[in-house]
Amino acid sequence: MTAFEHLSGLWLRAVERWPVLATLGPFLPLLLLWWAVAAAELFPPAFFPGPLEVARRAVELASKGILGAYLEDSLLRLVVGALAGIAVGLPLGLLLGLSDRAHRALWPLVLFFQAIGDIAWLPILIVWFGFGLGTMTFVIVYTVMFPVLMNTALGVRSIPEVLPRAAASLGASRLRILLEVVLPGALPNIITGLRNGLGFGWRALVAAEIIVGTSGIGFMMFDARRAGSVTEVVVGLVVLGVVWSIVDSWILAPLEKATGERWGLVAR
Amino acid sequence: MKQLVVENLGKIYFDPRLGERVTALEAVSLRITPGEFVAVVGPSGCGKTTLLNLIAGFLEPTSGRILLDGRPVEGPGPDRGVVFQSYALFPWKTVLENVAFGPRMRGLPRAECEARAKRYLELVGLGHVAQRYPRELSGGMQQRVGVVRALANEPEILLMDEPFAAVDAQTRMTLQEELARIFEERRPTIFFITHDVNEAVFLADRVLVLSKGRLREELPVPIPRPRRWAPLVEDDAFKGLVGRVLQAVRAA
Ligand SMILES: Nc1ncnc2c1ncn2[C@@H]1O[C@H](COP(=O)(O)OP(=O)(O)OP(=O)(O)O)[C@@H](O)[C@H]1O
Ligand SMILES: [Mg+2]
Repeated sequence: MTAFEHLSGLWLRAVERWPVLATLGPFLPLLLLWWAVAAAELFPPAFFPGPLEVARRAVELASKGILGAYLEDSLLRLVVGALAGIAVGLPLGLLLGLSDRAHRALWPLVLFFQAIGDIAWLPILIVWFGFGLGTMTFVIVYTVMFPVLMNTALGVRSIPEVLPRAAASLGASRLRILLEVVLPGALPNIITGLRNGLGFGWRALVAAEIIVGTSGIGFMMFDARRAGSVTEVVVGLVVLGVVWSIVDSWILAPLEKATGERWGLVAR
Repeated sequence: MKQLVVENLGKIYFDPRLGERVTALEAVSLRITPGEFVAVVGPSGCGKTTLLNLIAGFLEPTSGRILLDGRPVEGPGPDRGVVFQSYALFPWKTVLENVAFGPRMRGLPRAECEARAKRYLELVGLGHVAQRYPRELSGGMQQRVGVVRALANEPEILLMDEPFAAVDAQTRMTLQEELARIFEERRPTIFFITHDVNEAVFLADRVLVLSKGRLREELPVPIPRPRRWAPLVEDDAFKGLVGRVLQAVRAA
């Protein structure tokens, strides 16, 4: 047995025991490359900090409580904005899915407004709401709302006509049909919309924080640039990626898969 | 038990793509007495589904009326149970929840709904799959659940639109015998649609022939019950009736 085979065997067994390794594995070569490029000092260290330095800075920021506080700010904004976005997008999506008339009247408007990127609103939002929470909330709500709305409408419209008919001839009222057939029938799409919406919302939030923020990860990065600390900017980048990977792969993706599978919509 | 009366029923669709009107049904009148099994046969596109959907209340007639025990039908309701060709089971509910759905919508206590659903599932030998999801069942089993879901709601009349058309020939015969047995034991009122003449004669007390939106002929089926395939395939009376219905369908 060669040393390589021996190592790959060890790796496969390790992945089996700790599945997280499968996610982390691909990052090892990248980290090594990063470390090598930084160590070779191809670029001035102030412009291109190495992984160790970034890690040290991250620990420092975390122990001072800055990183945790900013991350909390960002996530809280995302959650509040997302809840508001769902509160608007879900009922509108149901309406557009259920009523042909509403669909005809509103769909072109939906397409128009979702085509205008969230960030494109910033100049006018700053005029309206100033540099602060109002502007950021608007951006997230706006970003989360459209994917939820459009996917909900799509989900409702793709429910086979016979299902609400079957429910009605079994004695279900309109409200019960909505609760027992329309909502569960559209649920896999709703969750897909939510996953997309939150993903877009997270990016939009960081952009908004960079431009109008007074706290949050995006603000931290912009502030670090002002102070000339590239290391801190890179800490921000890594945190953004890590947090979203965790939220998406540990919460949203399993949720989407579970509903899709249980509903029998995902081919096995 | 209620009597179903259809008077002078007509249905004209507007096809927006062709930009023209399609007459699907014209002056259809019929009467189904309680405990009767009536089958409608006819070629594809003759208006069978339209007729059933009108009676179910899924569509509004262009002319004529439908009376259930003297009262006009307005929209779908639990007095008319429907079995769909595509089964139409709720994929996110277990088999038990599917069958308990009707009783639950009518406000029966949960325990009673489940007990009733179990009882009806046993009736077709499906007690053991109560906790499974529909997609885990074969087509034949899914349609058994579809039939039982409608039965468990104890409707005045059962409307069935080509319920066995999507299963293989072997399973179809089993399902037909099962339906015959349920009918013999419980005497529900059944309005059954099919393009299969053998199926119509095997199951029904009376066969109506529909063609191009009109009822052309009506043939009683005086074959005694219980009916099972094994003796009937060789039976001259049965074969004679099938021949007569076939002729009526082709002549229409
Ligand atoms: N929604 C609709 N809009 C326009 N035309 C329709 C519509 N539904 C049915 N038709 C037409 O009405 C006629 C009767 O259709 P129907 O579905 O009742 O036939 P069917 O006897 O059930 O046929 P099959 O055996 O194929 O199920 C057909 O010509 C069909 O094209
Ligand atoms: Mg049909």
